[in-house]
Amino acid sequence: MPFQLKSPLFLSISLATILSLGYFLFIHQPKVDYNTEVKPILNQKCISCHGGVKKKAGFSLLFEEEALAPTESGKPAIIPGDAKNSEMIKRLYAKDLDERMPYHEEELTDQEKNILKRWVDQGAKFSTHWAYLPVQETTVPSGGFFSFFQKKDGNEIDRFIDQQLNNVRLQRSKEADKKTLLRRVALDLIGMPAPKHIQAAYLTDSSAQAYEKLVDSLLNLPAYGERWTAMWMDLARYADSKGYERDYIRSIWRYRDWLINSFNQDKSYDQFITEQLAGDLLPNPSDDQFLATAFHRNTMNNDEGGTDNEEFRTAAIIDRVNTTWETLLGTSFACVQCHSHPYDPFRHEEYYSFMAFFNNSRDEDTYDEYPLLREFRNNSVLQYDSVLNWLQTKANTSTNHFYKTFVKTGQQCINSLTADSLSNAALEDTKFLRMRKNAWARIRAVGLSDKQVLYIRYRMPVKYGKLDFYASSVDAKPFASVRIQQTKDGWQLMAIPMQHFFDGRKDIFIHFDSPLLKSNNDNGPVFDWFCFAPSFPGSNDPAFKTYFQTFTDLLNRPDAELTPIMMDNPSDLTRNTYVFERGNWLLKTKLVEANIPSIFNSQNKSYRNRLDLARWMTDKQNPLTARTMVNRLWEQLFGQGIVETLEDLGSQGASPTHQQLLDHLSYRFMHEDQWSIKKTLKRMVMSATYRQSSIVDKKTLEKDPLNKWYARAPRVRLSAEQIRDQALVICGAYSNKMFGPSVMPYQPEGIWASPYDGRTWEQSKGEDLYRRAIYTYWKRTGPYPTQINFDGTAREVCVSRRIRTNTPLQALNLLNDSTYWDLSLKFAKDILDKHPKNMDQGIVDAYETAVGKYPDPAKVKLLKNLYWTSFRTIQKNPEKSKALLTDSCINRTHELAAMAITANAILNLDEVITKN
Amino acid sequence: MRKLNIHQEAKKVSLEFQTRRHFLQQCRTGMGMLALGSMLDGCNYFGGDKENTGLLNANPLAAKASPLPGKAKSVIFLHMAGAPSQLEMFDYKPALQKMDGMDCPDSFLQGKKFAFIRGVPQLLGPQASFKQYGESGIWLSNHMPYFPSIVDDVSILKAVSTDQFNHAPAQLLMHCGTARLGRPSMGSWVTYGLGSENSNLPGFVVLTSGGRNPDAGKSVWGSGFLPSVYQGVQCRSEGDPVLFLKDPNGIDRDMRKASIEAINQVNQVAYQEFQDPEILSRISQYEMAFNMQIAVPDVMNITDEPEYIHRMYGTAPGKESFANNVLLARKLVEKGVRFVQLFDWGWDSHGTDPGTALDLGFVDKCRQNDQAVTALLMDLKQRGLLDETLVVWGGEFGRTPMQENRDGKQNVFKGRDHHSDAFCMWMAGGGIRKGFTYGETDEIGYHAVNGKVSVFDIQATILKQLGFDHTAFTYPFQGRNFRLTDVFGKVIEPVIA
Repeated sequence: MPFQLKSPLFLSISLATILSLGYFLFIHQPKVDYNTEVKPILNQKCISCHGGVKKKAGFSLLFEEEALAPTESGKPAIIPGDAKNSEMIKRLYAKDLDERMPYHEEELTDQEKNILKRWVDQGAKFSTHWAYLPVQETTVPSGGFFSFFQKKDGNEIDRFIDQQLNNVRLQRSKEADKKTLLRRVALDLIGMPAPKHIQAAYLTDSSAQAYEKLVDSLLNLPAYGERWTAMWMDLARYADSKGYERDYIRSIWRYRDWLINSFNQDKSYDQFITEQLAGDLLPNPSDDQFLATAFHRNTMNNDEGGTDNEEFRTAAIIDRVNTTWETLLGTSFACVQCHSHPYDPFRHEEYYSFMAFFNNSRDEDTYDEYPLLREFRNNSVLQYDSVLNWLQTKANTSTNHFYKTFVKTGQQCINSLTADSLSNAALEDTKFLRMRKNAWARIRAVGLSDKQVLYIRYRMPVKYGKLDFYASSVDAKPFASVRIQQTKDGWQLMAIPMQHFFDGRKDIFIHFDSPLLKSNNDNGPVFDWFCFAPSFPGSNDPAFKTYFQTFTDLLNRPDAELTPIMMDNPSDLTRNTYVFERGNWLLKTKLVEANIPSIFNSQNKSYRNRLDLARWMTDKQNPLTARTMVNRLWEQLFGQGIVETLEDLGSQGASPTHQQLLDHLSYRFMHEDQWSIKKTLKRMVMSATYRQSSIVDKKTLEKDPLNKWYARAPRVRLSAEQIRDQALVICGAYSNKMFGPSVMPYQPEGIWASPYDGRTWEQSKGEDLYRRAIYTYWKRTGPYPTQINFDGTAREVCVSRRIRTNTPLQALNLLNDSTYWDLSLKFAKDILDKHPKNMDQGIVDAYETAVGKYPDPAKVKLLKNLYWTSFRTIQKNPEKSKALLTDSCINRTHELAAMAITANAILNLDEVITKN
Repeated sequence: MRKLNIHQEAKKVSLEFQTRRHFLQQCRTGMGMLALGSMLDGCNYFGGDKENTGLLNANPLAAKASPLPGKAKSVIFLHMAGAPSQLEMFDYKPALQKMDGMDCPDSFLQGKKFAFIRGVPQLLGPQASFKQYGESGIWLSNHMPYFPSIVDDVSILKAVSTDQFNHAPAQLLMHCGTARLGRPSMGSWVTYGLGSENSNLPGFVVLTSGGRNPDAGKSVWGSGFLPSVYQGVQCRSEGDPVLFLKDPNGIDRDMRKASIEAINQVNQVAYQEFQDPEILSRISQYEMAFNMQIAVPDVMNITDEPEYIHRMYGTAPGKESFANNVLLARKLVEKGVRFVQLFDWGWDSHGTDPGTALDLGFVDKCRQNDQAVTALLMDLKQRGLLDETLVVWGGEFGRTPMQENRDGKQNVFKGRDHHSDAFCMWMAGGGIRKGFTYGETDEIGYHAVNGKVSVFDIQATILKQLGFDHTAFTYPFQGRNFRLTDVFGKVIEPVIA
């Protein structure tokens, strides 16, 4: 039936429509959303003068109570519900330029003014930024009315993606071909091409489960753990050297191995970070749990002579705070060091309350990086067991614990460089206490309750001398005295029984003298540490001497792998934490207790130490932990985070492209998958969004140049690690040896210029030349060039997101680095062995090996052309192939040289260094 | 947050584009050589949106105009790593001579920390003789016989101060505006802001001499949180001048050209398939790599320089030396390199051995330095380049008026400890006032008494001469807009001509 345009019913309906439209347009004021509408204006236009750093005219818009409080004028600038009388709004409209806000800046647009006005009229409600609210379960979009027409492939992720694609009128691409997908998912999950048998199983499996089986088998490969360790090493700012001027070696590779094992075991993420933050505080920590805490021992350590150890210890503690926030909580916290956060609800003081969690750690920027975990080897294992046994049978619980910790970690000793009030003594090179003729030194406030023996670690250059220890005052008799002899090979350990026992804390004065020292400048003993201890148990047992000897040997010269770990100070050495005035560590102001920022602690619970901290972070109500990790995993697979700024989910970070999806995945991560990283990754790679083709048409590219909406799979260049690892596999050189100290593959001369330790790059031998990139030795002042050329960070501080670049230095690296020439030659040899007669077929095979699929004929033609051009050049000038090939006993050198040039070109192809 | 002007905004947007995803090279430049231009069907992948396209196609190292008018186009920063003694070069203190050997007055030691001095050290008189030179009548020591001839071209800052007294942190402060690691160096900031005039050479080149890298390592020319394309490229005088620049043995230019051509042509086919603009960027990066292979060795080769130039600089081709690097610095700025950073190691005159003795090793260092830097200024001047090239000379801090007594013991040779309160630097060219000294220290050269300037002031002044307001030149990172001078710095107006 045709419409009757003049129907009265229709007219009245139209009238009603117009009226209601008019109401919505002119009378009804739609509700303003604080987070998406108001906060961006405040952040951009107001807060630099009225916020965390500056509070001009006593007005701040950062916290609700500040914003509504009286300003310097005595009146509040915002009167909720009354924009007309609110100074803040009046000033936006002021005609006088000295009155108008933003002060002497561009006027707000009408729309912006309107938003703020309506916001005040509607009550000036503040709300918390989404990232600071707990993760709620989200409903998966059904697709609404049109859902019938929509693709229902993939999984829940795709429903979220499709919803937004719909909004921008784009559609997901079709699934990528099998071979492309095989290469992509292998590079993503294990960081290199899949092993041959897994490839074959997938390519021959035509069942619907083929892809899922592939994903499962990749997730179960040991190479999986290595690939995700590569990511975490950036976050942990892992390096094999200490950094700063001297940049001496640091042995911390056991932590890297801990990471590999943890990823491979799919350790639940809450456990994974709890152990890294506070493994030492868990009940009866295992070696592995101690090792995990090396996470925060990757801070730099300054050995430069004359540097203040306290200053650099403080720098390390600050780094731990910033790294914890950036990597685990996706929040840039560093700015709160100097003032309240200018955009997010963190107060200056809260930085230091948070720092207090880390400030009680035992490490003091000492040369040896105490405390160290000792993992005994060989004979020492037996010795260690026998000492443990002895302690178990002879000692009471507290003494047993004391000695066990002592042997295992060398704690609780007092580092000699904490000595002060020196007289003819010095903290030599700011590393160790050196005493000379008639020398004095003091150690302050040592806890002496239940201590009966003093252990010292020292070196002595002269034949003999006398050492006396006084408590509280030098007037009393020494409580311990000993004659020490010249030492021969390095440090010596000595146990000195105390003659008097004390309660509580006392200042200890140390005196040394020797008649053999002629002048004041002659050197006496140097001390590493002092340790006051209960007596070694079982002194009335005839076997005491043997066991005591075993104990001291083990303590002084253990056959053990030493790794820096976190431990807290014993109760008598607890450090106080103060607010630093404007971030200056020398200006200590208010004393603070450990706590998390108040926005996360509305119930005012008490959080005392790092373990409490870890429990807060892994609580399912913590809004940041799961989101940060899920966002990071997404970025690793999709090339960009759902929130692009991985380091900042807060109001200054980028807005999420798919906030609901992020929450959905984060909720699943915690609740359904019990923090399993493997399950979360599987969810992501099983989605149709992940599996689609990366080929893009002009229209989509125009509409979404950055691929924010995922109408295609992202195409991103491989990471430095993936480039190396893939090349090793392609060229048949890959060594699957896992774990152990870092290795030194080919590196050009002159990268290491170590002014002090004179250490040089000693090229590894055999298979160690061909191991995955994570095993390459990382020296902070001379990082491996390929790593840096391909956007690796220097690992000085944590940089949690690598920014991809495309530079000529990358081209030169892959074209000319001897690593890649060596690999190209190996590759060429393989190809010639497989195709001795048919070069053309060999080239096709080489391409297929590298890219994982059969080449387009145009590409084959170009590569063949390169081969034959090179071959003819070499034929004309055979000297060239001699220069190119280092191995002289190979036949068919011309072919090999030409094939090596071609293989090198293949390794340089965009398709090879890019995830397609 | 300070508002960005349109120019900065545009740069920021374009930078975000380039670094995150696109990083597009202007795709027609440089194509001719490899005859690829015709294979690309234009560069306008983004339809009619001209403005956007312009940004996307920007090369991050393309030369850009400075936001404000600047006098200098390029900078040569000569850093004497280890910190030379101002008291034996520029800051003449006759009173200190009279007090030689006396105990240092307590007032100088109260509340002070030194790197190595302990207890009460003795004052050490100048280990050099001084005279006034030039029309400006500037005092110079006898260790610098060449410098008088150009002293009327420089501004000497006599009261520079820093707050770091250890090498690595002080060097970081000087170059990155902070004593901690992780921030971009001055050269990175400048190439980020101005790009490079020569697309076949890196915009920021670093040259080191003295056998060692500076104490703070490569971080002093790192790009920190700026994209890595802005980090300094260390050109080495031995081995490849730039890492991986040289083709493997047996590969000649024609073969290399053939292989780059093949790579780029295959990539072009891949571009047809994927339509990913990043592929075009990669094609141009391979071309630039090929060009650099010619341009860099060419500029790094000093053997072709005329004999009189070698005599003037004291250069001897073929080995690492400060003089060679100084000559290279001139060649590099001549070719349009934006920022040349030299580090010369070996100025840490503690007096613990002959090499660090003020009357032995230090004198040799001064002599080598003097001839080369004098030649540099004369050479730049005769080429008409001095007006647009800012030359800065100095160490990371100065040295104490006291003789060092390491760990409380008198050192064997004459040496001085690290001193952060007052030291000398000089600037020349690039719009800097000629024949001028600024600042003054007390009678023993311990404290500044007037004209005190900080390391941040030096940085602010360098940026000013290049056409930047140092307070407005920022980059957002970790939720904050960072700048080279952090929250400090004031342009040293008196030294600007």
